[in-house]
Amino acid sequence: MIAPAPASTPSAPAAAPAPRRKRPAALQHIGSRYSILVVWAALAAVYGVTNTSNFMSVASFRAIFNGQQPLVFMAAALMSTIIVGEFVDLSVPSVFGFAATLVPVLAVSHGWPVWAAIVAAVAAATAVGAIQGYLVVKVHVNTIVVTLGMGTLLTGVGIWMTNDNTISGLPTGLGKIANLDLGGLPVSFYYGVVLIAGFAYLMWFTPLGRHMRFVGASREVSRLSGVRVDRIRFGSFVVAGLLSGAGAVIAVSGFGGYNPTSSDTYLPQVFAVVFLGTAMIEPGRFNPIGTFIGIYFLETGIFGLQLLQLQNWVTNVFYGGVLVIAVTISTLLRRRSS
Amino acid sequence: MERLRVADLSKTFGAARVLRGVHLAIAPGELHGLVGQNGCGKSTLVKILTGVYTPDSGGSVTVDGRALALPVRPLDARAAGLSVVHQNLGLVDDHTVWENVRLGRYQASRIGRRINRKEEKRQVAEALARLGLELDLDERVGELAAEDRAAVAIARVVQDHVPGGGLIIFDESTRALTKKGRARFFGLVQSVIDSGASVLLISHQLEEIVEVTDRVTVLRDGQVIEGGIATKDTDEAGLTRMMLGRHVVTHSRVDSHARDGVAARVRNLASRSVSEFDLDLKEGEIVGLTGLVGSGAVAVAETIGGARPGRGGVLTVGGTELILSKRRGSTEEFIRAGVAFVAERRLEQGLAAELSVTDNLTLPRVRSRGGRFRTGGGWQAQETAAMIGKLDIKPPDPHALVGTLSGGNQQKVLLGKWLVGQPSVLVLHEPTQAVDVGARHDIINAIREAAREGAGVIVSSVDAADLAVLCDRVLVFRNGQVAGELSGELTADDIIHATFEGPAVEKPGPQQRREELHHQELNRKGVTR
Repeated sequence: MIAPAPASTPSAPAAAPAPRRKRPAALQHIGSRYSILVVWAALAAVYGVTNTSNFMSVASFRAIFNGQQPLVFMAAALMSTIIVGEFVDLSVPSVFGFAATLVPVLAVSHGWPVWAAIVAAVAAATAVGAIQGYLVVKVHVNTIVVTLGMGTLLTGVGIWMTNDNTISGLPTGLGKIANLDLGGLPVSFYYGVVLIAGFAYLMWFTPLGRHMRFVGASREVSRLSGVRVDRIRFGSFVVAGLLSGAGAVIAVSGFGGYNPTSSDTYLPQVFAVVFLGTAMIEPGRFNPIGTFIGIYFLETGIFGLQLLQLQNWVTNVFYGGVLVIAVTISTLLRRRSS
Repeated sequence: MERLRVADLSKTFGAARVLRGVHLAIAPGELHGLVGQNGCGKSTLVKILTGVYTPDSGGSVTVDGRALALPVRPLDARAAGLSVVHQNLGLVDDHTVWENVRLGRYQASRIGRRINRKEEKRQVAEALARLGLELDLDERVGELAAEDRAAVAIARVVQDHVPGGGLIIFDESTRALTKKGRARFFGLVQSVIDSGASVLLISHQLEEIVEVTDRVTVLRDGQVIEGGIATKDTDEAGLTRMMLGRHVVTHSRVDSHARDGVAARVRNLASRSVSEFDLDLKEGEIVGLTGLVGSGAVAVAETIGGARPGRGGVLTVGGTELILSKRRGSTEEFIRAGVAFVAERRLEQGLAAELSVTDNLTLPRVRSRGGRFRTGGGWQAQETAAMIGKLDIKPPDPHALVGTLSGGNQQKVLLGKWLVGQPSVLVLHEPTQAVDVGARHDIINAIREAAREGAGVIVSSVDAADLAVLCDRVLVFRNGQVAGELSGELTADDIIHATFEGPAVEKPGPQQRREELHHQELNRKGVTR
């Protein structure tokens, strides 16, 4: 039962680049390119055998594919900056949490119309991205310092706004934005699919995507080739804020409320999936579809471990371990390609 | 017995042989010079001697008769008195003089592992005294003048020497020094030599090599061309010729393709190192810019190419006027006006190694030729195939990653990236640097063809042989100004002489020069045997 799920989801977008990539060089990489799918199938098989009754069920399939929308949007936000060479945007989960907190705070505590709260939250997240972009690109402040500081600051502001409580009480009708059932999966899953497909299209088929790749590879080469390097770097921070904000609004609609501290736990996961993505599809490069597969691969692992009665600590051990392994693989692939 | 004897040392990186059977012998108390073009293998040799690289098997490194284990272990090298002063001197600016001198040699007390400042400072004072230097030990190194900084770096290596021994390699260490500082620096070097140590001086400043060294070794393409010829038997022009090699002149000149139309007009170009430069570049004309480091030739090329802003001036290409002092985020405006700039350092400025040949080659046009939402594959495949065919790029795989290509083929991809856009002004900076003879041949032909098709070409290079076969005229820069213009039948020797000689110096007549060359030829033969 589990078999069709992983096969159908990733293979649809992955098919898109196939015609462009018909080449002898591709064959050399074919092993590393899709090896994770094999590992994934093996993982599912092991869980299926050891815990047949629980794992091989529609319920577990749903559990794996249900709740990953926040991670998909945050991973896309991180990719936006990491692809253009801004190596560590540590603020992504905090910006997400800040925007997600802002919606119930404005709508419930301050009585704003819901739509206004949503617009304000997305705008605030985008503005944070713009401020970070300005500091990094124009003022040349170190990315780690800017994003670490900004992330901590926003988490603090969130706690202050909510008095460290979960503010809930958003209108139940709003939940449809995220939870509407489409073919057994919530609509929020498809937002992620569309976002990732769009991102992949941008990277593969548009001039902007090509420019972003080159800025990530070498700023000086890009500048001397007529690419407006600073504009692209700044824009990537703004887009990162926008994606975090949009993802947060969808997530908080589904949850009905939000606690500002809960998004911090996403930090290692976001990095783990983005780096894991470099082991797939385009080995050695950050790429959207690889990241998307990575998200569901990791969730399968976590879910199975939890079914085996292993408790919450498993999540940390698993994500942390995968982060280190994924970065190692990515580094080795890069070295091999150059 | 020699202080340092390097025998049959080779180094291979992948397919590239960077050093081939290098021999080097330095006597005690000798000041030995090592010269060669960029990429000739000088820095690889130094890195083998300091243990950064492992040489291919078969070679040997001997200090005072004792062979060092290969790869060289840094502590062995230090024990043998072998040390390197690098270009940036390896100093920590925030730390004091004594801390810098003792860096890596602190002796901690047995218990408590504390550094005994008094003892450390005493040793530093002693090392400085040996060099006849007086410096405030507690001064921060960042505050010192360039020549005092060099002195600190020298003191650091000298303290390891046993009296009467040791070898210091200066790897481009004099670059930051002024003329006066240089005199003091070589005074220090002399006192090091007087104490019995030997010195290997690596420098691009041929002037100082000729002035201060006892013997010189010339490297070209990883091979020793001249092993330890007496400096008094050669001069700057002779060394340059050996560095470049006669064999590179495989081309003969062809007729000029210059037409009457104007490709570009430069007025009042000024930069940090250049004052008031004007140029009228005709369509199909190839103009060379040359000069010593800092003379302004490079600055002019980079400013016209849009790579860096100038302090003033206007470039007119086609109908477009470009203000040269304007700061720009990219070269976009220049490219749109029809200017192409082929940068010198191909992997830092020209191409992204981790991306494919097609991606790199089409980058400047991906926005103008592609749609906004679709790059489009057809034109990219076409451009790439055209350039692979024209420049004979190997392997002829449009999807190969640039980093997997050899240097010569990377240079061809870089050239193709700009040629395929059919620029009206083509600015090239060292277009044949560190490429093999075959690649050079293809590159020179491609540049000529661009001129034949009507592009105005500017070549900035220190390679006189290139300039001689390519250019319709060559502008020789000195101190930020054009000191001379050569045109008509150009020869590499004319260009080298014009580069190295002051305008006041009278050119030797052809007869005299031939004799001079003949003399050098004999000398060289005598020494190599």
